[in-house]
Amino acid sequence: MNENPSILIVDDDPDILDGILLILESQNYHLRSARDGIQCLALLKEEVPDLLILDLLMPRMDGWGVIREVRSDSRYADMPIMILTTVIEDASRRRYELETGHSMDIQAYIEKPAKPDHLLSMVEELTRRKK
Amino acid sequence: MTASLSVIAERLGKSEVFQSLPEKDLLEIAEFCHEDVYQDGQEVFVEGEPANQMLVVERGKLAIEKKIQLGRHSTPRNATIAYINPNQIAGFSTLTQPQLHSATVVAIEPTRVCVIDGIQLRKYLADHPDAGYQVINAITNLVRGRYQSATSTLTYFLSIVSHELRTPLAAVENYLQTILGGFAGELNPKQERMLNRCVIRVTDLSALISDVVDLARMRPEQIQADFEWFDPGEVGRESIEDTRLAAAEKNIQIRIQPPPEFKPIVGSRRRMRQVFTNLLNNAIKFAPEDSIVLFKAWYEKDKLIFLVEDSGPGIPPEDLGFIFTDFFRASNVGDSPGAGLGLSIAKKIMDAHHGDILVENLIDEDGNPSGSRFSVHIPLNLSTPEMRRREWLPDK
Repeated sequence: MNENPSILIVDDDPDILDGILLILESQNYHLRSARDGIQCLALLKEEVPDLLILDLLMPRMDGWGVIREVRSDSRYADMPIMILTTVIEDASRRRYELETGHSMDIQAYIEKPAKPDHLLSMVEELTRRKK
Repeated sequence: MTASLSVIAERLGKSEVFQSLPEKDLLEIAEFCHEDVYQDGQEVFVEGEPANQMLVVERGKLAIEKKIQLGRHSTPRNATIAYINPNQIAGFSTLTQPQLHSATVVAIEPTRVCVIDGIQLRKYLADHPDAGYQVINAITNLVRGRYQSATSTLTYFLSIVSHELRTPLAAVENYLQTILGGFAGELNPKQERMLNRCVIRVTDLSALISDVVDLARMRPEQIQADFEWFDPGEVGRESIEDTRLAAAEKNIQIRIQPPPEFKPIVGSRRRMRQVFTNLLNNAIKFAPEDSIVLFKAWYEKDKLIFLVEDSGPGIPPEDLGFIFTDFFRASNVGDSPGAGLGLSIAKKIMDAHHGDILVENLIDEDGNPSGSRFSVHIPLNLSTPEMRRREWLPDK
């Protein structure tokens, strides 16, 4: 069993993924990554991470789709979600509400580009709850 | 089994394009029609392919889509530009040269259609000019309607464009931040300075993209749709927070003079914050270091006034009439960054509020320029969409 908090990062842009991984690798996290929503759901099934970092605009299944799936599945009820995207927060919350009739149940929202210090402190805060 | 000629003729007669044709024509056109069903997600027409069929939707729904791809690396996206509902048609290109489909059409639910053979239809209409005239007339109206809906499509295109432009920038900014944060090894001071400059230039470009997209999207009715009750004092405080870093960099103090009490007003909360933030940023940009920017608000009988005053060089008198124009930058701004959109965005927002944004230069006792003063006048009689709806309801 891995004792370090585990994080699944989902982003379709390989360069963004690379940069985020580089920042998170500076700490002791167990990291996995996916490039779209479908791949994300498959990895979630294998192992529930302590934090899901999720982009919104992605091919195959977008981030809103992932939130919808994950939030209707009790296995992931305690898994915090951090959104990391270029979409402004207002617009994406409104879109989710219009599509689902529910408010978006996420624990953090960061607009890209993320400042490394800010990202690390948010990740630490969200994974600490699990410890 | 296909429907009888008279049933097909009746269906054609209900459609937007054939409704003005006499039964005789409808029966003859029905001769080269058949019915077909498309499943949810199935492609009906593909943009650029020969247009040899026209469809009348009987049941279900089709979407007209255009493919958008910017640059080589972005994911192509389909933007829906219109829907085709029962009794509406798809495939008018079959009647127009060069007879190639002008857009892709996809079924978005199981859809039953009446398919008209395009080649035979062209021949029939050429041989029957009266019917041909009626049909072309109907199609002209239809195209005009689609043209009008292009405005809303533009908004959608812009949101995709802005995303496509911002995505590569976000990747660059992300790498820059990662390198500057020391996550990819140590930097010497020269490298650090240059990378910091890169961050500033990329951030400027990113803001410029937001402004251009915002400006193109900014229609009064869109802003008015966002009208809600809000606390203007709270929005003012948020704007001060937005500009805090810029002010700190030049050691500028923002002096606040609020009214004794802020009462809620109707307007677009988000847009109003943009106005205040733009004005404060503008003042900070032109104010000298270690100076004071005044941010003041008070109520008058039928309006709320916000004022932003700086002690910068003021605006050259010959430029005063143009500063709210798109992309206008005053002749004395020198190297100050910006695309010249902040003030024209603020003006558009205030217009949508039926308010005013005014500017004047300040002159000191010796007659020398001593700054500029912008004031925003927000009427107190605006209505939210809900209030406007209620006004239209009959009295109980």
